[in-house]
Amino acid sequence: MQINEELIRKITEEVMRQLNADAPKKQSCVNSLAGQDRINPEKTSYAGYPKAKVGTDPKEVVIGVGAAFQREIKKTINGIPLEDVIKNVKAGIEEEGMVPRVVKILDTSDVCFMALEAAKLSGSGIGVGIQSKGTTVIHQKDLYPLSNLELFPQAPLMNLDTYRKIGQNAAKYVKGEQVVPIPCTNDPMTRPKYQVKAAIMHIAETEQLDPDMGIIEWEE
Amino acid sequence: MKRSKRIEALDKRPVNLDGYIHEWPEMGFVAMKSPYDPKPSVKVSNGVITELDGKTRDEFDFIDQFIADYAIDIERAEKSMATPSLDIARMIVDINVSRKEIVDLISGITPAKMAEVMNHLNVVELMMGMQKIRARKMPGNQAHITNLKDDPVQLAADAAEGALRGFAEEETTMGVARYAPLSAMALLIGSQIGRPGVLTQCSAEEATELELGIRGLTTYAETLSVYGTEKVFVDGDDTPYSKAFLNSAYASRGLKVRFTSGAGSEVLMGYSEKKSMLYLECRCLYVTKGAGSQGIQNGSVSCIGIPGSVPGGIREVMSENLVAALLGLEVASSNDQSFSNSDMRRTARTMLQFLPGTDFIFSGYAAEPNYDNMFAGSNFDAEDFDDYNVLQRDMQVDGGLRPVTEEEVIRVRNKAAKAVQAVFKYLGLTSVSDEQVEAVTYAHGSKDTLSRDVTADLMSAEDVLKRNITGVDVVKALAESGYEDVASSVLNMLKQRVVGDYMQTSAILDRNFNVLSGVNTPNDYMGPGTGYRVEGERWEEIKNIPHIIDPKDI
Repeated sequence: MQINEELIRKITEEVMRQLNADAPKKQSCVNSLAGQDRINPEKTSYAGYPKAKVGTDPKEVVIGVGAAFQREIKKTINGIPLEDVIKNVKAGIEEEGMVPRVVKILDTSDVCFMALEAAKLSGSGIGVGIQSKGTTVIHQKDLYPLSNLELFPQAPLMNLDTYRKIGQNAAKYVKGEQVVPIPCTNDPMTRPKYQVKAAIMHIAETEQLDPDMGIIEWEE
Repeated sequence: MKRSKRIEALDKRPVNLDGYIHEWPEMGFVAMKSPYDPKPSVKVSNGVITELDGKTRDEFDFIDQFIADYAIDIERAEKSMATPSLDIARMIVDINVSRKEIVDLISGITPAKMAEVMNHLNVVELMMGMQKIRARKMPGNQAHITNLKDDPVQLAADAAEGALRGFAEEETTMGVARYAPLSAMALLIGSQIGRPGVLTQCSAEEATELELGIRGLTTYAETLSVYGTEKVFVDGDDTPYSKAFLNSAYASRGLKVRFTSGAGSEVLMGYSEKKSMLYLECRCLYVTKGAGSQGIQNGSVSCIGIPGSVPGGIREVMSENLVAALLGLEVASSNDQSFSNSDMRRTARTMLQFLPGTDFIFSGYAAEPNYDNMFAGSNFDAEDFDDYNVLQRDMQVDGGLRPVTEEEVIRVRNKAAKAVQAVFKYLGLTSVSDEQVEAVTYAHGSKDTLSRDVTADLMSAEDVLKRNITGVDVVKALAESGYEDVASSVLNMLKQRVVGDYMQTSAILDRNFNVLSGVNTPNDYMGPGTGYRVEGERWEEIKNIPHIIDPKDI
């Protein structure tokens, strides 16, 4: 077997490549972000988007999504694509014979206020607020802001079926039916695992707020 | 890379499921001290604070202004501020300096100065400080009473068992908020069956919570949240002034109330203004004091994952508990939220409050299995009861709980479930079957109980509000259904509202409805041989755990 410099170099490179590829990610490899003021350096401009209107259709349910929705953030905290989330909530509303409309809320990232603003724009007075991390509230326009019809605070436990049922229940409130709230789920260990991630995602959403734009129609 | 089997084993340990992050002051991920925290300062002219922590009056936000006008003793301010922070820190741990002397001195310092004082204390010194500064002589404990089904019958049974086990206060909340009136009623009835004199509250949207209190369906309130930055206050549709009004609304009806705050909320809301968690929490605690609240629930509370993720975070949590005590507030010191996947880490975190004792070590302890805890899980739950009792016995520490017998547990659970069944029947509310009573009596959690008719329950809950059902109606229903003893206890709880003594700092009630507070049973700790000691009957009670070896059986 002939050994030459070229071969040794190639083998060394290959070994190094594999070593780097296999190396587990270590805490010590994570660089501190201290000194940086934002998570995403750029703020998306929504100039030119149509401002959301107050609906008149009594069958309408307005879904208010977060400022970073489908832009800076594309998946919920547990990895569900946001376009699937919105598809399922809309489908749930339509299955019950009601009409969904989506708006993007640029003046608050608080999910209760988002849902209430959506409800106030909704022809039926029922609205749904969805943060980009997946936290969701069903609201009614004449309730206190921090009260609600249904709240789903533990975003890591949500799945597409829950989002579809949220759409269905929102529609049922419009129809004035006796609605059985979607059963609660609870995992006490979501906080230690997800709270930091939740904070980072919420900061990323909040830094995209543009109160001058208020609320815009959102057809993505 | 070929993996080390040891590192692989370590990587799988529960502690590595928790979230950690480097300090990032710009986003508020910093516990004790941020480079952006202000330097302590105060200026007083004509009896008005004109400068506070580096800001002049025209630069104040509404929190600064509220603190300057209502939370600092202006007469003492300049003198207290002239005392070096290190000297104050040393006085806090000095057994020869009385609690009163320190509290008086502290009443003149600013939030930034307070944070500076805390930065001089390590965790053992913080515990020493708490042992001395806590308002009430005897420590106490609070329970969470909740379940996944919002089943009022189970709430009553768990409330009865929790009261039997020694909790002085019990708090509930709901998965479905509209259950609140039924939850409050069930908790009120169940608690008095376990041990007369236990205080109860129902954590709900603030207006609902106030209404339940005014009607006498709860006996205290806790969920008046305050925040350390103006933007978070505004997002919550609030100001320090609106919180002060709400506090007064409770006081006007003779209801005990405490505020809630804690590290990490401003980070989670995205508005930390680059300040440390400790400095922001100091601002919250000054607002609490300025609003005239007798106490606070703090220690990060539901945001514990945030201080828990950064270096020194748990030291910060204990610091904020001590700051509250130094401001003369009752401290319900959190430990009430699942915090770590590691049993070792979650226990260590609780020792900081358990060993020195606080007014309420937990706020609260899940007196049901954690899967039923609707505050998203507590740091300790019903499956830890025996561990906790053994910890009290090992260290001769009063953690507020007591060992119980199975017979007693079954008896009080059954009585509570039946009493709720009877009261609901008498008042024409949603029905409770004998099978449900039986299941709840012997249940560990909601996995062992029958399903409720949610629609009927919610209609009844609405009915309670519409028909103006009050605590007095509950007393009447109990008395006329054969539960005169429980009726008398509930009536005694309502009488507290008229007397008002239990609105004093750190008040709890004993089984004869006598108030034990920081006023009539003040903490007088000044070193060995003083203060609260675990001895006599209470020590005998703690010693007597189940599962003791009987030498005769060997």
